[in-house]
Amino acid sequence: MEPDVSIETLSIIRIAVLPIGTIPPTLLRDYHSMLLRHHTIALSAISSFYTEHQKSPFTNQPWDSGSLRFKFVLGGSPPSPWEDFQSNRKMLAVIGLCHCPSSPDLDSVTEKFNVACKSYSSALVRRCFAFSPGDSQLEDGDKKGENLILFPPSDKQTQEFHLQTMMQDIAASLLMEFEKWVLQAESAGTILKTPLDSQASLNSEEVIKAKKRRLGRAQKTIGDYSLLAGSPVDANAHYSTALELARLTGDYFWYAGALEGSVCALLVDRMGQRDVALEDEVRYRYTNVILHYRKSFIQEIAQRVSPLSFELEATLKLARFLCRRELAKEVVELLTNAADGAKSLIDASDRLILYVEVARLFGALGYQRKAAFFCRQVAQLYLQQDNRLAAISAMQVLSMTTDAYRIQSRASMSKVSVNNETGRLPDAGKMHHHSIVSLFESHWSTLQMVVLREILLSAVRAGDPLAAWSAAARLLRWHYPLITPSGQNGLANSLANSADRLPSGTRCADPALPFVRLFSFPLHSSQVDIVKRNPAREDWWTGSAPSGPFIYTPFSKGDANESSKQELIWVVGEPVQVLVELANPCCFDLRIDSIYLSAHSSNFDAFPVSVDIPPNSAKVITLSGIPTAVGPVTIPGCTVHCFGVITEHVFRDVDNLLLGAAQGLVFSDPFRSCGSAKLRHVFVPNISVAPPLPLLVANVVGGDGAIILYEGEIREVCINFANAGTVPIVQAHVSLSGKNQDAVISIADEALQSALPLKPGAQVTLPVTLKAWHVGPTDSDNTMSSGRNAAGNTGRPKDGTSPSLLIHYAGPLSNNGDSQEKESIVPPGRRLVVPLQICVLQGLSFVKARLLSMEIPAHVSDNLRDEDIERESNADSLVKINPFRGSWGLRFLELELSNPTDVVFEISVFVQLENSAKEDDSSPVQDSPEYEYPKTRIDRDYSARVLIPLEHFKLPVLDGSFFTKDPPPGSPSSSRNPSFSEKNTKAEINTLIKNLISKIKVRWQSGRNSSGELDIKDAIQTALQTTVMDVLLPDPLTFGFRLVRNGLEKDPETKAESPFSKGSVLSHEVTPMEVLVRNNTSEAIKLNLSVTCRDVAGQNCTEGADATVLWAGALSGISMEVAPLQEARHCFSLFFLVPGEYTMVAAAVIEDANNVLRARAGTASPNEPIFCRGPPFHVCVAGGAL
Amino acid sequence: MANTACFIIVGRNDIPIYEAEVGSAAKREDAAQLHQFILHAALDVVQDLAWTTSAMFLKSVDRFNDLVVSVYVTAGHTRLMLLHDSRNEDGIKSFFQEVHELYIKILLNPLYLPGSRITSSHFDTKVRALARKYL
Repeated sequence: MEPDVSIETLSIIRIAVLPIGTIPPTLLRDYHSMLLRHHTIALSAISSFYTEHQKSPFTNQPWDSGSLRFKFVLGGSPPSPWEDFQSNRKMLAVIGLCHCPSSPDLDSVTEKFNVACKSYSSALVRRCFAFSPGDSQLEDGDKKGENLILFPPSDKQTQEFHLQTMMQDIAASLLMEFEKWVLQAESAGTILKTPLDSQASLNSEEVIKAKKRRLGRAQKTIGDYSLLAGSPVDANAHYSTALELARLTGDYFWYAGALEGSVCALLVDRMGQRDVALEDEVRYRYTNVILHYRKSFIQEIAQRVSPLSFELEATLKLARFLCRRELAKEVVELLTNAADGAKSLIDASDRLILYVEVARLFGALGYQRKAAFFCRQVAQLYLQQDNRLAAISAMQVLSMTTDAYRIQSRASMSKVSVNNETGRLPDAGKMHHHSIVSLFESHWSTLQMVVLREILLSAVRAGDPLAAWSAAARLLRWHYPLITPSGQNGLANSLANSADRLPSGTRCADPALPFVRLFSFPLHSSQVDIVKRNPAREDWWTGSAPSGPFIYTPFSKGDANESSKQELIWVVGEPVQVLVELANPCCFDLRIDSIYLSAHSSNFDAFPVSVDIPPNSAKVITLSGIPTAVGPVTIPGCTVHCFGVITEHVFRDVDNLLLGAAQGLVFSDPFRSCGSAKLRHVFVPNISVAPPLPLLVANVVGGDGAIILYEGEIREVCINFANAGTVPIVQAHVSLSGKNQDAVISIADEALQSALPLKPGAQVTLPVTLKAWHVGPTDSDNTMSSGRNAAGNTGRPKDGTSPSLLIHYAGPLSNNGDSQEKESIVPPGRRLVVPLQICVLQGLSFVKARLLSMEIPAHVSDNLRDEDIERESNADSLVKINPFRGSWGLRFLELELSNPTDVVFEISVFVQLENSAKEDDSSPVQDSPEYEYPKTRIDRDYSARVLIPLEHFKLPVLDGSFFTKDPPPGSPSSSRNPSFSEKNTKAEINTLIKNLISKIKVRWQSGRNSSGELDIKDAIQTALQTTVMDVLLPDPLTFGFRLVRNGLEKDPETKAESPFSKGSVLSHEVTPMEVLVRNNTSEAIKLNLSVTCRDVAGQNCTEGADATVLWAGALSGISMEVAPLQEARHCFSLFFLVPGEYTMVAAAVIEDANNVLRARAGTASPNEPIFCRGPPFHVCVAGGAL
Repeated sequence: MANTACFIIVGRNDIPIYEAEVGSAAKREDAAQLHQFILHAALDVVQDLAWTTSAMFLKSVDRFNDLVVSVYVTAGHTRLMLLHDSRNEDGIKSFFQEVHELYIKILLNPLYLPGSRITSSHFDTKVRALARKYL
């Protein structure tokens, strides 16, 4: 069998091309390419060389449209035993190629050429082309004869023209030789033989049969030469005669040959035009050809020679003629029949050629799997030959099958676009069907492993280490679950051995191990704080930071760099990091010499690291690098130096693999089998590189623990800023963010502004004054959390939150003044957040706050109010006498403070005094504006109580009643009508409390530097809420005792004699007294009054047998009615028998009480009487005249 | 009874989802590999032939070295492919129909992903029993 056969092969003249002498390979290739260009020469072009010696037997030669066709057999080939049967198998011409500088002796060249031509006895034309001869060789060339043709050195175009002329001469010579041969053939008596003919020529019967067949065979041979001469009409005539003679003589083999020739003549005559009728004719004739080849099968000599190869060749010729998509079924049948005949072929070379042709035709038909199958059969036959050239052929043939089996190398796959594969499901659509199937067609693993193993074996034999490494890598990476541990180790050794033969730094398109996937892109703080600048605005920092309590606001225009996860900005010169997960699912230790991020944008310098991964394990590593230029950065994967070869591992491939594993389309997930947790898919963000920016680094002087404050403490903290970048800071703006911004009292940002521009490496110190806020709720029930005193904010702050210093800064507008393009691009600014780690400790804490009241009994006097007021105000201005109540009333605010800290606190209380109008009128002496009490020291873990005397709370009400009793005309108080409704009462109470609290300040000092002020407002307010109703509200009735002045005036003698005449009572004398009852309500009150006199023992002196006090008038059962805000008097007289101290008490039962009185008294039932009792009054009875 | 038989179910994405050597001959690795190669190559012929006929059973679509490939194409374009050396066409057709019903039951399982491998040992046992019965 011969390769690359077709129906028209019978019309092609074969020319052997032989190198003569030594020729450099490149020149030999050039000579071959020049020759191969002249495979067809038109008959019209050779008419000038053709001379008709006699009448041509080719009477129908198409001189205008015909042509001679050549096939150059490079290097020649041995003669075929079937030359007589098919004349196109003969070498009809020999062309020698000679390089004159390499062969200086032309005589030896001629001799070598003649020796080479002896093995081609069938050659009709012999020429030797000598290229680039020297001058001496040119002179000698003319004497060497016709066969040596010298090509003088000249340009390529002239040489090609010269060669074309020589080829036309060869064609003309061949044509003349064909005519000569045909004229001799008809009369010659030579018997044409084939290997099928019997060798017993001595038999008379065989001789007779041979003589009969000779004419038919001669006619067929003449037809063959007519075809070679380019005259199909003459050939067809001869073939018709041959067919008749062959059929008559039963020569089936030659009959089939003549029929093949007639088909070829038919096609050559049509010159490429084909229609359905022609196809049917060809199909019919070739069916007969195949049938007759089969008939010529001779059983007894089948082991030695067989016409099966011709039968299969005819089948292949017909299949090639019909090879079209519409006739696929018919062609497949033909090819299948041809493949079936392969096992009957004797010669292994014939079987090899058959499979090559079948594979080629299946490929032309579009049946890629079929073509791959037969290619593998070809490779199997090649691998059976144990030599290097066969291994190279096997490797090349197997490489052609990788597309069909989906194991193609990454280098060959780059031609196919796979951009739309990511995230696609297998049934996503028809458009990407091929791409999707190529992802998951890995379940033909048995076939893929076998083919890869054969590629590896052939590559090892062929001595191609890169191909071997590539095959082993694909086998190990994609089929590790199906390979035994010893097989995996063997593949690892193959990879290492192949790498030893490769030069250092070899790159391969197919990755091996490990499996690499993207773990995360950690955002460094310096990357998050990049703010785009608007050159039109000076305050570009406004609106860049999120403000307010909401993290996401749908109406705000958020910056893309901060709100979107898909955007990432890196800065030139600043190192960045990417987390990558590696998996080694195999059973050997994986040594990765180096791995780094592969950036295709060439503006990123990655730092390689070396990793060791144990068997069946995964590891997350950090890969870092530095951006080097402005522009987008693309990181599709990692570059790995492993097993001695550099490969690129693309993240998308692993993502597709994991997607297939999730869908159940691939065997296993390498990361899951290594024990790695299931990771959500991480996308590579859009990375862009910004020009070099300044980098501000902040440090709190004294460390982060320096800002530890007690409640209310004010301290100044210094923050040191340094420019760690390579660009000076030109613009800076300081602002606040976060919670408790009121804690920052002042920021001396002029220190920062005056230091601008801040050169790289320069530092500046920024003083910040801080004030600690109030700590949150404590265990004490009476203590209530409140806002900061300085801000007046009543909101409840969160515990532990600190304010942050926000600094927006930027470098110059243009980094490079020379570049015009860069000037239009404004480098982005940056934002630095310095959290002020303010830790507020609990300083002094309130334990309890109470309002205490104490009453001192007043002396019964003779209504000397002015003197008493004046005297008492001099001694203690806070102690005031109630002239109507008749007793001394003291009010104390008790603050109980606890010190849980480790330091000592000193408490100072300051009270601001306000003089009442009445005091101003009666007292000309002006008091000091602020009164300070002595300091109180509280040691650690101790508590202390601070008593703060307060003014009397009921004064305003009494002032109102005082004016009501004697109102001057036009006074605003006269129109006041106090109401005891609950709302009005609460408003009065709150007003009183606020006025009181605003006068009191409690300051503390701790150590040398710490000082502050306690916030007692809320504490006092909470404490007073429970007791203010009882303390502040006036009683509905107030009682007072006094001596009647008229009695004293009537006895001037007693007054002059007694030293105790002033405010004293004498015993054994009738003492007239009166009781004052005042109504503090707005309604009239009917009451039943009673007066009691008790001695120091508490006994009632006016009753019983042992009464020591005699009285005149009524002391009990006194019915009275007091008008609203009026006073009523009741007169009586007492006669004291025993000198000493007595106490007078007045009490009353209110009759027909209204709702206000009942609410004030807090009675349970409406029928319960309301009992009022006044404070005791002190009476000192001196001895009389006795 | 077929001496050599290899049965493969190929999903609609040309991915094999079930493989079984169901012949009575001694199982050899290289023979099994060759069987899969032949069935894989026959997919090209089935791809064209399936659209030219309405029948589900395509008998003798391909052959190689006395081994014949018969195919049964389902409505969802899943192909049941059998490589055999016998000529028992009726038995092969019955075998395909029975296995098709088993395959439909596999598809009715809501936990089974269409197109993934069939790993049910019950299915495997049933298929081998049907092969012994019909082939």
